[in-house]
Amino acid sequence: MTKFLKIAGKAILICLIVVWSIFPVAYVVLNSFKFQRDIFAFPPRAFFTPTLGNYADLLSKYPDFFGFVANSLFIAVLATLLSVFAAACAGYVYSRFRSTALSASAFYLIAVRLLPPLVITIPLFPWVNQLGLADSHLILILLYATFWVPLNVLIMKEFIDQIPKELDESATVDGASEGQILRYVVAPLAKQGMVACAVFVFVFAWNEYVYAFIFTIQNAKTTPLILSELMDSVTGTNYGILFAAATVQLVPILIVVLALQRFLVAGLTAGAVKG
Amino acid sequence: MRRFSFFHLLLLSPAQSLTTLMLASPAVYVLWLSFTTSNYGLDPQFVGLANYENVLTDRHFWTATKNTFLIVNIVVYTELILALGMALLVASLGRWRMILFAVILVPYGISEVVGVLSWRFLADPNIGLLANAFRAFGGNFSWSRNVADALMLICTISIWHHLPFTFVILYAAVISVPRELYEAARIDGATALQSFWNVTLPLIMPAAVLAILFRYVFAFRMFSEVWLVTAGGPVRMTEVLGTYLYRVGFRFSDFGAAAATGWLMVIASLVLASFYLRTMYRASFAND
Repeated sequence: MTKFLKIAGKAILICLIVVWSIFPVAYVVLNSFKFQRDIFAFPPRAFFTPTLGNYADLLSKYPDFFGFVANSLFIAVLATLLSVFAAACAGYVYSRFRSTALSASAFYLIAVRLLPPLVITIPLFPWVNQLGLADSHLILILLYATFWVPLNVLIMKEFIDQIPKELDESATVDGASEGQILRYVVAPLAKQGMVACAVFVFVFAWNEYVYAFIFTIQNAKTTPLILSELMDSVTGTNYGILFAAATVQLVPILIVVLALQRFLVAGLTAGAVKG
Repeated sequence: MRRFSFFHLLLLSPAQSLTTLMLASPAVYVLWLSFTTSNYGLDPQFVGLANYENVLTDRHFWTATKNTFLIVNIVVYTELILALGMALLVASLGRWRMILFAVILVPYGISEVVGVLSWRFLADPNIGLLANAFRAFGGNFSWSRNVADALMLICTISIWHHLPFTFVILYAAVISVPRELYEAARIDGATALQSFWNVTLPLIMPAAVLAILFRYVFAFRMFSEVWLVTAGGPVRMTEVLGTYLYRVGFRFSDFGAAAATGWLMVIASLVLASFYLRTMYRASFAND
């Protein structure tokens, strides 16, 4: 009897966790396939006639939307490449060398990352305008890449620490230059770490709101920003479009997160627990 | 062992220059700006501590500070308790473990904007599922008018988004507790509660502290949840430090006061972070 109660209790808790984690997402996705009259029906209908009408409306009423999705993708990919490259290079040095100056510079990297991001927008905003970078893809790419550099350096260091130094040394004995060692010995073995770092930057860049809100006007707008504008402008008849747009934004990134969750967890635990 | 050379400096330079250029130099410049009065397009004039005086005597700043501390504490400790419970539950499962694990990670992949969108409609006072459910039980939930309800909604959204992070950290700690210890405790006649209290808890403490510190630092800078749910309203009663800074700087164009607020936030963040930085430095980079 107690065993039965135990199992039942666990099952209830598991259901609660599943509802809590998934329901808000499923709510958006399901609503995107509903007719307007079904969206806010209370009590909600478990069975409804699905429609692709909201997606068709999104395409015809907001033809620019998919251009902004492409924008987001472009910015996220470039930020990811830049951030992983910078972090892998620095992570190698921090893993293989120790000195007071190096420790201090690593400490500096992490300390800077802990500054509240809104604070730096105050001086950056006029600078960015003067340099003509306002509303450019470049400023978002640089910001997103930089934001994950410090923690990614830490993660890469942890991963490169796992690669035995003897491997570098024997490659040196065989006459490989350090550049070659990095390229052919360290990089392939640190791939898992690089994927972990890439997931962090990519998810962040794809979803980010604050910087996009402050630094873009029209050209460089990203999907989350468009969604926030849609959210405040929808009235009566076009909630379905909003849910369709949100679904387009969330489904690809959710697939990335779930497909690469192994790397994400490895990165989180390497960067946080060991640190 | 290879010598540190120019090549290694070169390897460090992308990471160091990005951080310095994009984060550190603006942060230092903010300190200078906080002692000046400058509207966009005008040259800064030195005004001493006037900006700090203005900010510290603004009652909206204190509302924002109060809300920030309230929200941060609610969010961080609720997350910790929920995440710990979830970690223990998931660790005790057999083959369903990985599926539940993936389910728990879902909010991590969702943009703050989409999270707010979903929760805002769920809690909509007129048409929302949650608000309707509340009403069915005789309650009332109206985040657009009631400050406490609005803050509760903001906390819920924030917890929803960040629970996966806290969960992963605690789960990693829970599963790394050696099994032999539990068996030893069982042989010694410890109840489940006793073995949790005396075995699990002390061993996962470092990870728990780390998760708390991380989340303190990151919850402290909250902006999107508040901005997208209430924009600080009604009548600036739900403002947090992030939205206060944004409003002062970008809506009222008072960069000096915004910079002063920013620098006050920097100091608070560094105090919060210093504990973390000390442990991290000792563990990973100490020159021994």
